[in-house]
Amino acid sequence: MTPRALRAIVSARLRAERRSLVFACAGAAIVGFIQPHGVAAITDPLTADVATRSVWLAGPMFFCSTIGIAIALMQGPGRHAFLDTSERSAPLFGRELARAKALAPVLCATLAAFVYWAAQFLSGFAAPPAFFVLALACVIASTLVALNATVSSGAARALAFVAAGVTIVIAYVLAVYADAYSTKSGDAVGVATELIVCGIIAFVALRQYGESLARYDPL
Amino acid sequence: MHILRMRDVAYVRRGETLVSSANLDLAPAQRLTRLCSSAREAEALAMMGAALARATAGSVTIGEYDPRVQPVHCKRIAAFVPHDPLPLSQIDAARYIAYRAALWDVDPARARKRAQELGEQLDGLHEAFAYPIVGALLPAPQLLVLDRPPSAFVPQILRAAGDCAVLIVETEGRT
Repeated sequence: MTPRALRAIVSARLRAERRSLVFACAGAAIVGFIQPHGVAAITDPLTADVATRSVWLAGPMFFCSTIGIAIALMQGPGRHAFLDTSERSAPLFGRELARAKALAPVLCATLAAFVYWAAQFLSGFAAPPAFFVLALACVIASTLVALNATVSSGAARALAFVAAGVTIVIAYVLAVYADAYSTKSGDAVGVATELIVCGIIAFVALRQYGESLARYDPL
Repeated sequence: MHILRMRDVAYVRRGETLVSSANLDLAPAQRLTRLCSSAREAEALAMMGAALARATAGSVTIGEYDPRVQPVHCKRIAAFVPHDPLPLSQIDAARYIAYRAALWDVDPARARKRAQELGEQLDGLHEAFAYPIVGALLPAPQLLVLDRPPSAFVPQILRAAGDCAVLIVETEGRT
């Protein structure tokens, strides 16, 4: 696949979903501003650490991942039939098409996560950049898992939804608890664990999406 | 040598047989119209002819390739024009041509020139129907598969297709 074809697919998909992108960013900005950031007075440092992390991470992880899943589902067949037909009839392998098609919702979700973080920053409760990276890893992984629901039906579709939800929960638990409980070894252990797990899930989900696209029957 | 060959091809979707035992031979530069009993059958047959759908039974060969094994090679040979018009409210013609040229790696300047030539040949046909045909012909395919094209403009479309083999899939009773 040429970089030009990749750019063409991604830009066509982003243009087709520009309204959704604006709504996603607007929603992320509003929720980022209004999300409560207060933590009750806690004396135990570990409990305080967990509470702080959960306050910082719950919003972006759960809300922005939901946005990512919603935008991923919009890539399903039927919504932009002319794009689907053109992409399917182009001489591209399933894995190449999967990468290009996945990039658009991933970029939308990434932008929404960034807007959320910016809103937190402007409201005076900005999380450290490492937390943004943790939330982003969760958002990307769950978006890629949800993409599999667009090319499946019945039980397989339901399974993809459940898997996307489970991905968010796993990433959140790892980011909050593994990070908090690994303070003795440094935050790097917790951060790395979450990033590696999300990376593995995203890789497997993208491969599966490519396989599904190669086998997909449009009729 | 055949550019498209179908032997005892069947297509079954969710227990419903859309195509049963279709046989078809299309030589390079040949034009063939195939009548189908329903729109769904026409769509299924056209998509199998362009390597977009896989036959449930029988064999399809596009050029020398089997779409089940080498779909990418088949898609380099065959171009598909869907029945539905291009939604011009979602994408304008120039952008669509640039998009199609990028997907098939056609030089942008050459694509614009070719699109203009094809557009002139398809003069009179509404842009929403003309541009999918222009887009399909941009990479100079060897086979053009048309799913229920606007019947009144078929001679014009065939002229625009030049020496490319054309399979027109129509429904019975449609004029």
